[in-house]
Amino acid sequence: MTAEPRTPDASFLRELEGIVGRGGVVSSPEGRLTYECDMHTFYKGAPDVVVLPESAAQVAAIVRLCRLHSVAVVPRGSGTGLIGGAMAPVGGVMVSMTRMNRLLEVDLPNRCAVVEPGLINLWLSNATRERGWFFAPDPSSQMVSSIGGNASTNAGGPHCLKYGITVNHVLGLQVVTGAGELIWLGGKVHERPGYDLTGVMVGSEGTLGLLTAVAVRLTHLPEGVKTLLASFAAMEDASEAVSAIIAAGIIPSALEMIDEVMVRAIEEGVGAGYPKDAGAVLLIELDGPLAEIESQSARIEEICWSHAALEVRVAADETERALLWKGRKEAAGAVGRLTPNWLLQDAVVPRSRLPQIMREMSAIGRRHGLVLANVFHAGDGNLHPIICYDEQKPGELERAKQVNEELLHACLALGGTVTGEHGVGLDKAKNLPYQFGEADLNFMARLRRVFDPDGIMNPGKLLPSHPACGEGFRPARPALPQGAWI
Amino acid sequence: MSAAAAVAHALEEIAGRGQLQADPAALAAVAVDGVVPRWLVRPGTVEQVAQVLVLASAEGLAVTPRGSGSSLALGNPPRRLDLVLDLGRLTAVLDYVPDDMVASVQCGITLDAMAARLGQHGQRLPLDPAPGGGRSVGGVLATAAAGPLRFRYGTGRDLLLGGRLVQADGVVTWGGARVVKSVTGYDVPKLMVGSLGTLGVLAEATLRLHPIPPAWGARLWTFDTVAGAAAYVAAIIDSTLQPERLVLLGAGALNAMRDALRDSPADLPPDGAAVAVSVASTAEAVRAQTALLERLAVPPGGRGTEMTGGFWSRLGGALEGPVALKLAGEPARLGHWLRQLEHVARDGGVGLIAVGEAGSGVLRAALRAPGGDGLPSGTWLAGAVAGLRAALAPEGGSLVVERAPRAMKETLDVWGPVAPEVLDVMRRLKHEFDPAGILNSGRFAGGL
Repeated sequence: MTAEPRTPDASFLRELEGIVGRGGVVSSPEGRLTYECDMHTFYKGAPDVVVLPESAAQVAAIVRLCRLHSVAVVPRGSGTGLIGGAMAPVGGVMVSMTRMNRLLEVDLPNRCAVVEPGLINLWLSNATRERGWFFAPDPSSQMVSSIGGNASTNAGGPHCLKYGITVNHVLGLQVVTGAGELIWLGGKVHERPGYDLTGVMVGSEGTLGLLTAVAVRLTHLPEGVKTLLASFAAMEDASEAVSAIIAAGIIPSALEMIDEVMVRAIEEGVGAGYPKDAGAVLLIELDGPLAEIESQSARIEEICWSHAALEVRVAADETERALLWKGRKEAAGAVGRLTPNWLLQDAVVPRSRLPQIMREMSAIGRRHGLVLANVFHAGDGNLHPIICYDEQKPGELERAKQVNEELLHACLALGGTVTGEHGVGLDKAKNLPYQFGEADLNFMARLRRVFDPDGIMNPGKLLPSHPACGEGFRPARPALPQGAWI
Repeated sequence: MSAAAAVAHALEEIAGRGQLQADPAALAAVAVDGVVPRWLVRPGTVEQVAQVLVLASAEGLAVTPRGSGSSLALGNPPRRLDLVLDLGRLTAVLDYVPDDMVASVQCGITLDAMAARLGQHGQRLPLDPAPGGGRSVGGVLATAAAGPLRFRYGTGRDLLLGGRLVQADGVVTWGGARVVKSVTGYDVPKLMVGSLGTLGVLAEATLRLHPIPPAWGARLWTFDTVAGAAAYVAAIIDSTLQPERLVLLGAGALNAMRDALRDSPADLPPDGAAVAVSVASTAEAVRAQTALLERLAVPPGGRGTEMTGGFWSRLGGALEGPVALKLAGEPARLGHWLRQLEHVARDGGVGLIAVGEAGSGVLRAALRAPGGDGLPSGTWLAGAVAGLRAALAPEGGSLVVERAPRAMKETLDVWGPVAPEVLDVMRRLKHEFDPAGILNSGRFAGGL
């Protein structure tokens, strides 16, 4: 990477106003503070200025201007990330996509839609559901997170077990590269000669360029949906049941696990009707042809009973289905009843190692005297342990960090990965060397330079090599806010 | 010792005695577009692949990686070629835990060999590119080859989770993950799929697997017009059906597949077409979906026919021929592009076998001179390709000449144009990772 990004001056601000108009620039200290962090408030860094462009051409002009002046560029969608992503550790220009939120086109015969990056995920499904279609990626934040943000972080969600993560649903992208080029990659036509630059751009967290439009795949609504809730006395049994379901050749659309601690917190709060003595609850959803989900749900019931389930409940109708999901959806809110502060992990293990990692996790928590709560995507081995601590108690934060680190290493030792769906951001850039060797990281750094020759795009994020924690980076009080989406 | 002899000696030192081929007849057999390499080397480990590339980059040798050799016709004639890097000895299954539904393999393994191993556990890698399962995993990924199963399972892009590649300078790099879900760092595997080994040689792949469904059913419907067949395809797509495969066959393709049908359908009019569908699920769901398929076929006038079990495995073979095209347009216009291909072929008096993959909008076509297996004329082909590309351009479509004799390749751009601003990024990538241009020199899109 080249020279350190510089701080913009007054004439630079005037040039920005020339691009987006005076109303599209936020430079007051209070205004900029609104943008100092994403949902991982551990990491704070306000940008020097925020711009709110309304078109791809404006975004291109902004990036070219920043490149000319060596000013850092940080993209921001809805700011619901959990990784220290949409924040500016070295200052610079934050490009907020909230004004670029139009649904440009729905093309059902071609099973796709073209949207601006700021469009809220759920709005797309809302706009197409009546006609029988939806946008499959469903991060838990989908009622507020943007499709541009989903594509930038390659977001997952409960139903990606069956439908795949965001990259499997992105057909094309309009991007402004770090070199200032405004280009279309891919599109409605599924194949074209050349490198899969679309695939590389998805999940690149704004370090290669900014997304200015996204062509996404739409999926037809299934004939039927069936939701089951199975509770178990022991986490061990629930984990074995998950492995057995997958091993039976059944791919549910969602397969979520809620552990004892979370069950208690949920029941004390919203009350989703989970058995209070349950050591673990599985929420299992099947969708597809009715005949298929009927026979698969019968098989899943058998599997759960044979793994010592306490109870297996099948939702009889939409109301009951909503009730079963209620606990899962309220989980993040319930964490506040458990603990004043918490850290969240997002590592993945091979799905057959789920029982083992659950044992190791509780051992790690016990060893450090901290409570771990779990609510996660069990079907694809994507763990979300919530490490509970109280910052008022001396040493707890340090112990929580230690637990976090040990959890990550335990997952990697089983062949897992550093982040399953949240992304790297500033939070996990330092962890990449756990998973990748020097040559691997070097390859990625060179890839970055191809798109961003001057190192201005979202500096400090995604890769460890860049001097991330420079002068502008101010570590702040560690905590995830209430209502963060997991 | 001459410089050439020193290189040969070094290559044999790396790969072992008997793993270097310098015999002219053997080398002629692995020529690429008529360009005969000076050596063929068969490394037995990834480390040896790396050592070969260290040597090649030091000596400036142009290298073409080779899997099963089935798709070496794809691409521009090589600008230069010194060394064919045969990955055929790299066939190990490195790691396979059936309960994870993930397998890591060396890239020389064939699809058939993987299928045999995975099938024991009721699983499969759902990739079915033409001409068949003899293809190597590495070759299938490097050429982004896929077949009708993509309708349900996607392509290599959706199935490759991680990979070990050997860069042009011999540095071995890992990208991606060994689990089904990871967003750690850049998605380097995406760069490996479809890049024809021009950014690195993919030596190991970690792939997502799928369960083999317990029951299966398939049926073919014939229609008097392409429009009728296309209407049927559209009705299926806009339904709750979840087929495994959904393909549109032109009249020529149906005739070529006739002996894979149980009861021979009445002769199709020249404008006729057929739709072949397979569904895979539980037995009850297969019955229910087949019944719905029957009902949806009535309004557009479809006549159902049973297929033999070998239909799908033979479909790829029907597309073999000295000249093969891959056309990609908007998926909803699959029928339109089939008609366009048929018009162009009819005008030129050329035989056409065309199979369209619904959902993805990809049409594969084999062209033959009238009344046999001969070649269409090069002049006609160049004109037809140019005309179709011009028609495809407004929707961002593409046409790749996947196979043609070298003389014909020289009269046209086999890949077709890449948008200049995109080509610029591609050039920078290629320059970054293979600055001397030794990997598949000049064979890729844009002459990379």
